[in-house]
Amino acid sequence: MALSPLTPLTLPLARLPRLRSRLVGLATLRRWAAAMALMALPALLAGCQPARPSGLLIIASSSRIDSLDPTQASRSGIMQTLSALGDPLYVIAADGTITPRLATALPQLSADGLRARIPLRQGVSFHDGTRFDAAAMAFSLQRFMAIGTLSYQLTDRVRAVRVSGPYAIELELLRPFSPLPRLLSSIFLTPVSPRAYRNHARSPLNDRFVGTGPYQLSFFSRQQQRLTPYPHYWGAKPANSGLALVSLSNSTALYGALRSGEVDVLLSGNLEIDHQQALHREAEAGRLRETVGPALEISLLSLLTDQPPLQNPSLRRAVALSLDRATISQRVSLGLRPPLQELVPPSLPGSDPKAWPAYNPTEARRLFRQAGYCQGRRLELPVTFRSDVPTDRLFALTWQSQVRRDLAPCLALAVSGMESTTAYSQLDKGSLTMLLYDWAGDYPDAENFLTPLLGCSASRGQRCLKGNSVASGSFWSEPGLEAQLQDSSIQTGPAREALLRTIQRRAAAATPYIPLWLTRPVAWSRRQVSPIRFDGSGRVVFGELHLEGQP
Amino acid sequence: MSRRRELIRYLGARMALVPLMLWLIASLVFLLLRVAPGDPIDALLGPRAPEAARIALRHQLGLDRPLINQYGSFLGDLVQGNLGISQHSQEPVRAIIGASLPASVELGMVALLLAAVLGLAVGLSGIARPEGRLDLAGRLFGISTYALPPFWAAMVVQLVFAVGLGWLPVGGRFPPTLLEPQGSGFFLFDSLRAGNWAQLQGTLRHLVLPASTLALLLSGIFTNALRLNLRRALDSDYVEAARSRGLSERRVVLRHALPNALLPVLTITGITVASLIGGALLIEVTYSWPGIAARLQEAIAQRDYPLVQGIVVVVAALVVLVTVAVDLLVALLDPRIRF
Repeated sequence: MALSPLTPLTLPLARLPRLRSRLVGLATLRRWAAAMALMALPALLAGCQPARPSGLLIIASSSRIDSLDPTQASRSGIMQTLSALGDPLYVIAADGTITPRLATALPQLSADGLRARIPLRQGVSFHDGTRFDAAAMAFSLQRFMAIGTLSYQLTDRVRAVRVSGPYAIELELLRPFSPLPRLLSSIFLTPVSPRAYRNHARSPLNDRFVGTGPYQLSFFSRQQQRLTPYPHYWGAKPANSGLALVSLSNSTALYGALRSGEVDVLLSGNLEIDHQQALHREAEAGRLRETVGPALEISLLSLLTDQPPLQNPSLRRAVALSLDRATISQRVSLGLRPPLQELVPPSLPGSDPKAWPAYNPTEARRLFRQAGYCQGRRLELPVTFRSDVPTDRLFALTWQSQVRRDLAPCLALAVSGMESTTAYSQLDKGSLTMLLYDWAGDYPDAENFLTPLLGCSASRGQRCLKGNSVASGSFWSEPGLEAQLQDSSIQTGPAREALLRTIQRRAAAATPYIPLWLTRPVAWSRRQVSPIRFDGSGRVVFGELHLEGQP
Repeated sequence: MSRRRELIRYLGARMALVPLMLWLIASLVFLLLRVAPGDPIDALLGPRAPEAARIALRHQLGLDRPLINQYGSFLGDLVQGNLGISQHSQEPVRAIIGASLPASVELGMVALLLAAVLGLAVGLSGIARPEGRLDLAGRLFGISTYALPPFWAAMVVQLVFAVGLGWLPVGGRFPPTLLEPQGSGFFLFDSLRAGNWAQLQGTLRHLVLPASTLALLLSGIFTNALRLNLRRALDSDYVEAARSRGLSERRVVLRHALPNALLPVLTITGITVASLIGGALLIEVTYSWPGIAARLQEAIAQRDYPLVQGIVVVVAALVVLVTVAVDLLVALLDPRIRF
């Protein structure tokens, strides 16, 4: 017997004989009514979809934004949103060239390289109508230096910021710093209106943003932000009538939102590999658009070099040679993460694509044998992965299997998971023999990848006692390496690139880290959305997006 | 002693224990957070920020102070109703809870209502013929919905109705194309108060899947509880007496057995309400619902000590208050209860 939702209520009554005949008719009627209601439900629900304002684009990502204050920015999600709301001093194009945005020329350096004068654009206004000038830029930089989460990016290099004219500022540097324009391309240094932030000069303003960008903020919550074009924007006007940025917390929801047409654009964020692959196939079939941005995030293994067994450089090299990146990338990421044999993303000057050795089990076996392994003695090596990152676990298990297949008599990997925040806190304590993690520089420059991994302010021989190398879990340094790193921040042009390559080769020879693969930003969109473009900082240029047929 | 005095004495004793319980819970969460591995500075700056920056931030957040001083400040602020400032967003914890809690409560209440209607209807359905087909189906429903893994169930519902059929939104609490209702944070209430039909529609559309999934998962509790208690009530002497007086079966069930069978269900409802105040984590995460449970999960991952402490203390206080309220309600409804 088919059940209607009303059946449970009618059945006890049906025991009463006098009502039985009436109830049979009533129940049939109710069943029909319920069936009709159920059939009408989909149409009703589908018809309830709210109308979308013309030209509005809905963009989904996994990033929840706690604060839109540039001083609080440290994650890619907020950087992406800020790039639509604000302007940096300089922008990096996809081909790596640097062009002034709110500045009008590259920094003019003094003879000793310790003062940089930056001329600023005129005719620019903040979203509250106030004028952008040198005082506003200085206010914003000083505010960032005082309360910025990433303030060290500036305070480590800049002693003071001064107004040197109505439309010019001067930065007094602690030491010459050649990647200054790249640092100043960081969106977290975007200017904010001194008037709007006068009560927040030393405290963050989380739910508002008053900058100079092509869009102004019209609504803010952690999960949704609404951006509308700023009518008095000095540059090219946005091609759409506004953006609704939404955050969805899991990969299935993000994937489903694009598939069902609920959103127009999907920024990859933490999308699971299976979902990325499914969207990739959809794009290949012509049902979606897929755009890949410049890879600026690397994954690497840190090796604890100051304790047995990996204090032996030959063993570290043997471990590096035992890593079959191509196979693992294919198995774990379905080829979506290109293998990497250096610490600097290939799109940046100073890259050296073959700095680290490729997979070579024969050579690895020779080195293991040389170190006394393989002949009845096997090196048991603990590998820690971040348990809250699904890909890390897959990597660890796949590498373990690959080593078992190729180098079973010499090497065995003991894999274990640890929550990422816990793992990071253990890195500088020297308790993790090998850990897999990611690194993305705060601005696209080789220095921002090498110094955080190799920098060392106090060392003894090849052991780093204090500095970034300790914080990164390798504890490795070499005499003269720190000087080379410092020098790489002073040199320019081909000389600098050569020096950066030299540093990478020194690191590769000692193998305190093993680069694994690159993570590229990917955006998918519906076919109706115009092609997506990434800038050189790995961010989608929102202003160019529009629904085709709606200029 | 009169029943009213007994009740007041009972209420006084329960309320007197509340501060002690909250102190214990607050102290426990404070200590556990500090003992647990992980560093808020790592979560904020990443593991490779310069040491000087880490020291400066640690000082700025007061994490370099002796633990006993941090504990003293925390308790002192708590007594004054100050839950502190989130280390991650620099926002007052009270404001963050104020924004997240209504979302969880709204979802929980709608789900509870649906669960009660569904669960009680299924529970009643088998009464006419014990061990009959409907009774067996009701038992199966009760057990299977209770046993369903929430994450799996939520994912399946999401994939079918949002991704596959596209009838309802995949996640979130409100359509991005509309502006959120302003006011109390309870979107249903706020949109109704504003008389904004589009906002109400948007809120309902986003509420349907998470609330239905949660209701489905909770309904088994109601089904089983009602079924068992109603069966027991129907076998009792007073029901037999009612039948022997010639009352109709409908009257026997609805007027005599059901009210008594519903009393334990009320207690279960209270416990369920109390558990829903803390949010339904897996449902909130799956449907990107910006509730208190999802916020707590994020805060733990970020090692945001003040936020975790604040959420736990507020949720604990509400759970205690709801539990006391339900106990009182049951006592008022059931004259047999003694304190």
